[in-house]
Amino acid sequence: MNLSLKRITSTWIITILLLFFTAIILGITMRFNQGKVISIDDGRFYGIMTTHGLTMVAIWAVAGMVGVHYLLNRYLKIGAGLSVFAFVMTVIGVVMFYISTFLGNFHAGWTFLYPLPFLNSFAWASWATPLFFWSLAVLGVGWLVWSVGLLVAIFKEYSLSETFAWQHLSKKEPKVQTPPLVLISAISLVGVVLCLLTAVVILILSFAELYSDGKFVNDPLLMKNLIYFFGHTIANESLYLGLAIVYELLPEISGRPKYKTTWYVSLGWNFTLLFVLTAYFHHLYMDFVQPLGLQMFGQFASYFASIPSAVVTIISIIVLLYGHRIKWSITNLLFFIGITGWIIGGIGALIDSTISNNIFLHNTLWVPAHFHTYNALGNVLLILGFFTWAANEFSGSNTDPMRKLKLALIIIGGFGFVLMFYCGGAESIPRRYSVYPAEFTRGAMFAAAAAWFAIAYLLGMLLIFVDIFKKCTKVFSSSH
Amino acid sequence: MFAQTQEYSLAEEDKLFTKVENVQILTTTGDNIKLSALYEREPVILALIFTRCTGVCSPLIRNLQDNLARLRPKEQFKILVVSFDSADKPTDMENYQKMLNVYADNKWIFGVTENILDLTGSVGFYPQWDSVSRQFEHDALLVGINGNGYIVKKLLGIRNDNSLNGLIKAISNEFVISYPLPRKNALFTCFTYDPITGERKLSLGLLILLIPAVGTIILLFLISRRKKGNTAL
Repeated sequence: MNLSLKRITSTWIITILLLFFTAIILGITMRFNQGKVISIDDGRFYGIMTTHGLTMVAIWAVAGMVGVHYLLNRYLKIGAGLSVFAFVMTVIGVVMFYISTFLGNFHAGWTFLYPLPFLNSFAWASWATPLFFWSLAVLGVGWLVWSVGLLVAIFKEYSLSETFAWQHLSKKEPKVQTPPLVLISAISLVGVVLCLLTAVVILILSFAELYSDGKFVNDPLLMKNLIYFFGHTIANESLYLGLAIVYELLPEISGRPKYKTTWYVSLGWNFTLLFVLTAYFHHLYMDFVQPLGLQMFGQFASYFASIPSAVVTIISIIVLLYGHRIKWSITNLLFFIGITGWIIGGIGALIDSTISNNIFLHNTLWVPAHFHTYNALGNVLLILGFFTWAANEFSGSNTDPMRKLKLALIIIGGFGFVLMFYCGGAESIPRRYSVYPAEFTRGAMFAAAAAWFAIAYLLGMLLIFVDIFKKCTKVFSSSH
Repeated sequence: MFAQTQEYSLAEEDKLFTKVENVQILTTTGDNIKLSALYEREPVILALIFTRCTGVCSPLIRNLQDNLARLRPKEQFKILVVSFDSADKPTDMENYQKMLNVYADNKWIFGVTENILDLTGSVGFYPQWDSVSRQFEHDALLVGINGNGYIVKKLLGIRNDNSLNGLIKAISNEFVISYPLPRKNALFTCFTYDPITGERKLSLGLLILLIPAVGTIILLFLISRRKKGNTAL
């Protein structure tokens, strides 16, 4: 692997983890405020919520891209240039975004649901809304160029049907084998490109309203469809990028033969691409103007999107690990716990996407419960597995100090943290309240407990970071 | 002009979800009561008029009467008609009430208040005195106040029974669905809705939803047709 790719990958890893810690601290601040341990101004709370949400979504989407970019070089040639370009754009975009929230006090949430960003006459600085949208534009351009570049590199090596492993559907031993990493990366990247093109449409419509002086306004239903298509899909594609990494690395570091693409892996992931794009309708159940057919389609698409990828992945992992002597390291343990978190969070999501349940769970703490489970205990751990593996690769060292302590802190802290959300959701405590009304008697208690659990999770992450940081920085003094 | 319009105005959102000023009301029946004593018993529709009014005041109240007769709402509420003219006395309001023929109906309460500016300010109602016509320039306004004293709905202008029904449901804490009607400056809507016929048609906005998908398919098609090779990017 070329040195410049190792260096930019190391830079990404360190930057992503530093931003991750910043976002965790913001999250803990919010939960302590809800728990009445500290008290912050409402506007500031929502500014923190906006920063926390967008930072988390952004860094774990690009973390997956970093991982597949590095690993795809095993099968095809992709230089470091795209990654460097995306990194520069990301740094510029993040700085602009932080100025809009921390200095401009923009606080419409990371989903920036229309028309909230435009109702800013009293809540935040007038320049904060345009700056927020421009920051998204910078981030979007960087990532769009990157993801299209990765797809171009894949298509240089594999045809369209080979990329999506269609030859595996009909033939037992096809001439060209599509590695699972290529298949799942390509499927995820197509989804990412689609999301980013949607973001372009959202930004064009938003800028049109912003700069038309009232001559053009948007339709709330259209904007909500576009925003949730973008938001829901990008969160899911980030997860799939993490799974692509697991398919590539888990057998290797567990001392087992590499995964091969089979007909059911091909079928499952192709179905996932199809259905994940339509599952977002479940975010619009409360929008009575949305046609009923789309609402029902959203429920079934949610089932069909998750079942193929989850079932295929679970079967593949059981076949790989069950009954074999496995070389356990922090990397494959993180992968294993990450898959568990993804499945648990996914079940929580399916429960919520069922219309008869959503009537009770919509916009309660059940929502952050399930997405924190499949992110903080799912995707984050899958990517962290890659980070620990890459750090070992870059440094040539396999040391793994305090492994049990790190994992114990992450498991106890992480699951304790999300459990408080689930308990809150089960009690119908609403999400996105800076302070809970007195009627929600246990809301503050759950929030304060969650914050303490999150501190344990953060400590575990910091211990892992120290090791990764030491190993990754070696690549800057290395000549190979 | 504005009093005659059927269109939705952003002014209807002014002071929405804020608390109405809890002023003392002197009624035509001689009671001197706090506004809170009224809304805590039953939600209130507040109408602001003045008895010398030669403009929209009487049409506003007549229209309210007609709409109520058509709707026959099952919800319990009071209609409080307050004069915003400090020259009006309870006796003037009593005569006005008799003229409107609602004197015997205990759903209606007519009165005056010494703190009229506090009340009008709290509901976002700003009449202007015109010394030439010796009349107030003002909106036709109904204010829906719920059982906690919050303004939950305002109706500006002479409105139909559908609008009034929405206000009654809002003050009774019933769920009211709402969606902005298509406006001339909203070019891309998902549906075109005709409020008169209730008909809904697919609209141009739905095509916008398809742009990213079509764009991605075209992009995939274009880059997958490139020749194979191992050129580093």
